Amino acid sequence: MHALEFEGVSKSFAEKNVIRDISFSVEKGEIFGLLGPNGAGKTTLIRLLLDIIKPDSGEIRVFGGSLGSAAKDRIGYLPEERGLYRKTKLLDMLIYLAQLKNVPKKKAHASAESLLKSLELYEHREKRVEELSKGMQQKIQFLSSIIHDPELIILDEPFSGLDPVSTKTVEDKILEYRNEGRTVILSTHMMEQAQKLCDRILMLNKGQRVLYGTVSGIRKEHGKNSLHVEFAEKRSLNLIREIQGIRKITEHDRSVEIFPEEGISAQAVLQELIRRAEILRFEQAFPSLNEIFIETVESASGE
Amino acid sequence: MSKLSGKTLIVARYEFLKTIKRKEFLFMTFAFPLILAGIAFIPPLLAGTTPAEDQSIGYIDMTDSFDFPEFSTSEGFSVGPLGAKASTIEFVKYEESSEARKALQSGQISSYLIVPEDFLETGVIELYTSEKGTPVPGAELSTELSNIAIDSLLKGSVDEPVLQRVKNPVNMKLYNVGDNGESSEQGIAEILTNFGLPFLMAFLLFFSIFSASGYLLRGVAEEKENRIMEVLLSSVTPSELLTGKVLGLGAIGLLQIVVWLSVVVFGGGYALPVKIEPMLLFISLIYFLLGFLFFASMMAGIGAVTGSLQESQQVAGIFTFAAAFPLVFMQFILTKPDSSLAIFLSLFPFTSPVAMLSRIGASEVPLYQIAASLFILFVSIHAVIVLSSRLFRVYLLMYGKRPGVNEILKNVRAGGR
Repeated sequence: MHALEFEGVSKSFAEKNVIRDISFSVEKGEIFGLLGPNGAGKTTLIRLLLDIIKPDSGEIRVFGGSLGSAAKDRIGYLPEERGLYRKTKLLDMLIYLAQLKNVPKKKAHASAESLLKSLELYEHREKRVEELSKGMQQKIQFLSSIIHDPELIILDEPFSGLDPVSTKTVEDKILEYRNEGRTVILSTHMMEQAQKLCDRILMLNKGQRVLYGTVSGIRKEHGKNSLHVEFAEKRSLNLIREIQGIRKITEHDRSVEIFPEEGISAQAVLQELIRRAEILRFEQAFPSLNEIFIETVESASGE
Repeated sequence: MSKLSGKTLIVARYEFLKTIKRKEFLFMTFAFPLILAGIAFIPPLLAGTTPAEDQSIGYIDMTDSFDFPEFSTSEGFSVGPLGAKASTIEFVKYEESSEARKALQSGQISSYLIVPEDFLETGVIELYTSEKGTPVPGAELSTELSNIAIDSLLKGSVDEPVLQRVKNPVNMKLYNVGDNGESSEQGIAEILTNFGLPFLMAFLLFFSIFSASGYLLRGVAEEKENRIMEVLLSSVTPSELLTGKVLGLGAIGLLQIVVWLSVVVFGGGYALPVKIEPMLLFISLIYFLLGFLFFASMMAGIGAVTGSLQESQQVAGIFTFAAAFPLVFMQFILTKPDSSLAIFLSLFPFTSPVAMLSRIGASEVPLYQIAASLFILFVSIHAVIVLSSRLFRVYLLMYGKRPGVNEILKNVRAGGR
C-alpha cells in the first residue's frame, strides 16, 4: 500500500504557480527524500499533503484515502519554520501537542517523559522553552513531531541548526523508525544526508518534478564515468591536465574527480595516468546527489 | 462553526487553563473588585474622620442682636455603612477683637467671627482663622450662621412654621410616574440605580468583553508570530482551533464577569443603597456572551491576517474604539435613552451590548427593540464567524506584508469555495 500518493496536483498563489502537475507516491516503510533548491515548492507540497492548504487541482491520498481527522493523528510533522510555545513548560507543551493528536493524557505524559529521557532532556522538563538553548529547542521540536508514535513522519529540514552529535542522534532516530516499518518523508537540501538516508527521492525545481526514483537508480542514470583518483604526490595534479579526453577535473581534499569526455573509457584514462604519476587509489564512481542536484538546477536555469 | 469535536475541547481546556494562570487575568479579576470596594469605602472613611473634630469658635457681635447658641452640633454627611459622626462647635463670646486674636494665638479657639455693625445692609460676616490649626468646616458653619441670623432677625415677629420655611424654603422631592399611573418617590438609591449602576454594568461588560477577546487576539497573533501555528494546523483544522479558543476564552470571560457582577450585587448592595434586578443580570450575561462571540471572532480574524502581535493590536484598536463609543456617549444615553442615537447605538452590533445594557438600566426599553438588537447581533456573529474562519484558513500561514483590503475580500470570496 502507498503511504502517500499525489496525482497531478497543482497549486498557485496569487497567479504564481507554486506546484505544477506533480505526481509521485511514497511507499510504506521507506525514507523518501523531498529535494530541491529554496523556493522549489517543498514546503507547499508538505502543506498540501497535510491538508493545511487545498490543491487547485489533482488528487492527494494519504494511507489510501483522503486525509481525515483520524489520518492526521497518524502523521507527525516537523515544520521548517520551527515554532513552540515560548512560555509554556516543556512537559505541559508536549502533552498538549500529543493530546491534539488524540493521545490520552496519561499516555501522552508517559511518552513525553520517556522521549525526554532518551534525548537527555529530562532534567529540563519543568523549564520553559525560552530558557533552552537553540539546539535543545530543535531537539524538542523534533520530539514533538514523534511524540504520538506516528506511522508517517514528515521532517522539513530536520538537521538545520544541529551540531554533529545531535545530527547523528536524529539520523539514528530516522533509521530506527524506518526499520520499525514506519514511513519517513525527509525534505532537505543537505544532499549528503539525503544520499546517505533516503531510499527514493523526488526533486522539485520551480514547482516541477525534475527527478524521481531510487537514489541508486538516479545516480547510475546520471553517471558520467566519473573517476576518483588519489595520487601519492599532490603536485601530480598538474600532469594530468595534459591528458587528452578529460572534460573536467574537480579537486577534493585528498583526491581528484575526473570526468572523461564521452567515448573515452575509464581504462584509457587509467593507462594515461599510470604513465605520468604514482597512483594510490583509482575508483569509478557515480556522481553524488549533490552534483546531480547542482547540475539539474543549473541546466534548468540556463534554459 | 463546526460541530464540537474532542480536539476542540482539548484546545478549549488548554486555553482556559493557560489564561487562568496569567497574572494579568488574576489581577484584573480580583483587584478590580478591590478597587471598586476602595471607591465605595474609603471616601466615607475619610469623610468620617476629618471634620469630626470638635472646635471652639470665638465671636464678636457688633450689632449686639445675634443670639449665638453655646454649642452647635452638625450631623455631617456621608455615604456608606459607617454613618456620619457628629461634630460639635462651641461658640465663645468676646467683646473686643484684640481679645479674640489673643485667644486664637494661644490656641483656645480655632477661629473667630466678627459680625460688623452694618450686617443688616451688607450681610457680611468675617471669619478669622490662624494659618496653622484645624480647618474650619466652612459650608456647615455658613449654614449654621444663616440659621442663627434668621433666628435673630425674625424670632418673635413671625410664627415658628414660617421661621422654618425661611430657613429651609423648598424641599424638592422627585417622583416617577410609571406606566400604570402610579407614582413612586425617587430617592438617592433610585438615582444610583438609574444612572450609576447602568454605567458600572456597561463598563464592566465592555472590559470583560475586551479582556477576553484581547486574550484571543494575543493568542492567535503569538501563535502565528512564533510559528507554532503550523504544528497546530497539522493536528487540528482551523475551525476546530478557532472554536476551541473561543470556547476556552469565553469561559474565562464569563468567569470574570460573574466575579465582577457578584461583587456589584453582594458588595455593592452592602456599600451602596441599590438593588439590582435579576433580569438585568440575566440580560447582561446574554449580552456578554453575544458581544464576546462577536468581538472574539473578529479579533481571531484580525490576528490571522496581521503578521505580528504589535500590528494586530493596532488594527484591533480601531474596532475597540468603535465599541467604546457608547461609553463616551454614556451620559447622553442615560439621560435620553429613547433618542434615535441611543436606539441606533443599541442596535448596531459593534455598540449594542454596552449601549443596550445602559438603556435597559436607565429606562424601560420596548421588548421588540431588545429582540431586534439580539437578532442583529446574532446575525452579525454568524457573518463574522464565517468571515474569520475563512481568513483563518487563508492567512494563518502567510507572513510578510499585510494584505490589502481588496486582496482580503478576494480571498474571503475564494475561501468560500
